[in-house]
Amino acid sequence: MDQERAWIEQALQGDRKAFGQLVRAYERPVYNLTYRMLGDSAEAEDAAQETFLRAYAKLATYQPGRKFVNWLLSIASHHCIDRLRRKGRAPQLSLDGPLPPQWLTSDTPRPDQLVTRKQERERVRQVLDVLPADYRAAVVLRYWHGMSYREIAATMDTTESAIKSRLHRARRMMAQELEAA
Amino acid sequence: MEEMIERKHDEEMTMLMSLALDEMLGDEERQRLEQHLHACPACRAEWQAMQAVSALLADSPMAGPPLGFAVRVERKLVEKDRKRRQTFGGLAVLTSSLSLAGLTVAVLCLVVVAILTWQGIGPLSSLQEETSAVSQVATGMGLMGKGASLFLGDMLLRYGSLLIFALGFGIVLLGGLWAWLFLRRPRNHQHNGYV
Repeated sequence: MDQERAWIEQALQGDRKAFGQLVRAYERPVYNLTYRMLGDSAEAEDAAQETFLRAYAKLATYQPGRKFVNWLLSIASHHCIDRLRRKGRAPQLSLDGPLPPQWLTSDTPRPDQLVTRKQERERVRQVLDVLPADYRAAVVLRYWHGMSYREIAATMDTTESAIKSRLHRARRMMAQELEAA
Repeated sequence: MEEMIERKHDEEMTMLMSLALDEMLGDEERQRLEQHLHACPACRAEWQAMQAVSALLADSPMAGPPLGFAVRVERKLVEKDRKRRQTFGGLAVLTSSLSLAGLTVAVLCLVVVAILTWQGIGPLSSLQEETSAVSQVATGMGLMGKGASLFLGDMLLRYGSLLIFALGFGIVLLGGLWAWLFLRRPRNHQHNGYV
């Protein structure tokens, strides 16, 4: 945490290399969120890059009392929600598109496991794709980033009650989709 | 009415299911949910489906960006900074050029009016005959015009071609500087190159 604070201080002085360290430290959670939200690796990278560029531009507004990663994820989730709303529809699943090459797994999978994992990834994208943007963001922050209701509410600028409701409805929609598939 | 009550009850039960998945239920609520699940096959099925979804998502690993992501972000930051400096630099040149141009035009207008006044042309020339403060200014303008006219005439005779060359060179230099600042495109980098 002290190291992170030092990098932030240096980045505020205009040290791009220090900001680069922050990018390396948090590229995975940010990219994971954009990938889960947008469903396409090229779009996800573009959105993740945009998140870091915006964070750099408004680094002076970051409040040290808040977790830096949560602040980044807030920028990322708002950006992805805006992108999805501008598109006017949920994104098409690019099931044949390139998958991101880095998955955080602790073991080396066997070939049959690789097929199963690919199928699981497709199912995950399928169930996420039925959700409206703000429901999707709440689900991603809960399941992949382990945030509490309060943290999700703060990240998405809403109330805990709204998050409870979104997760509840999202789960029902995803359950129906999984059963139908 | 009964249907509405039933729907509300189902909604309440599925909300309890969702809270249970997040381990947010108190003992009393958990008991109520378990009792209901024993009695309601439809809710039991929904509970199992929600558990299946939850397990699917919980087992899904975190996705990471393609290799070289941080390098590409740093490159974009550098480019953004360069463009910002370029824009501000261009604005500074534009502002100072416009100021200089404005000043030059003002001086030229003053000289032209002065020469015309000396020649007896224009609104100020008629004021020279009066004795008010304005007429004093007009007279001064006329004298200045005379001086400027004689000076310019002398300069043109002695250094005419050099002056025209210097003026032309200055215009070309300024035009070139503007073109370099505003029209040049950045070199194409390999953006978003997947390793």
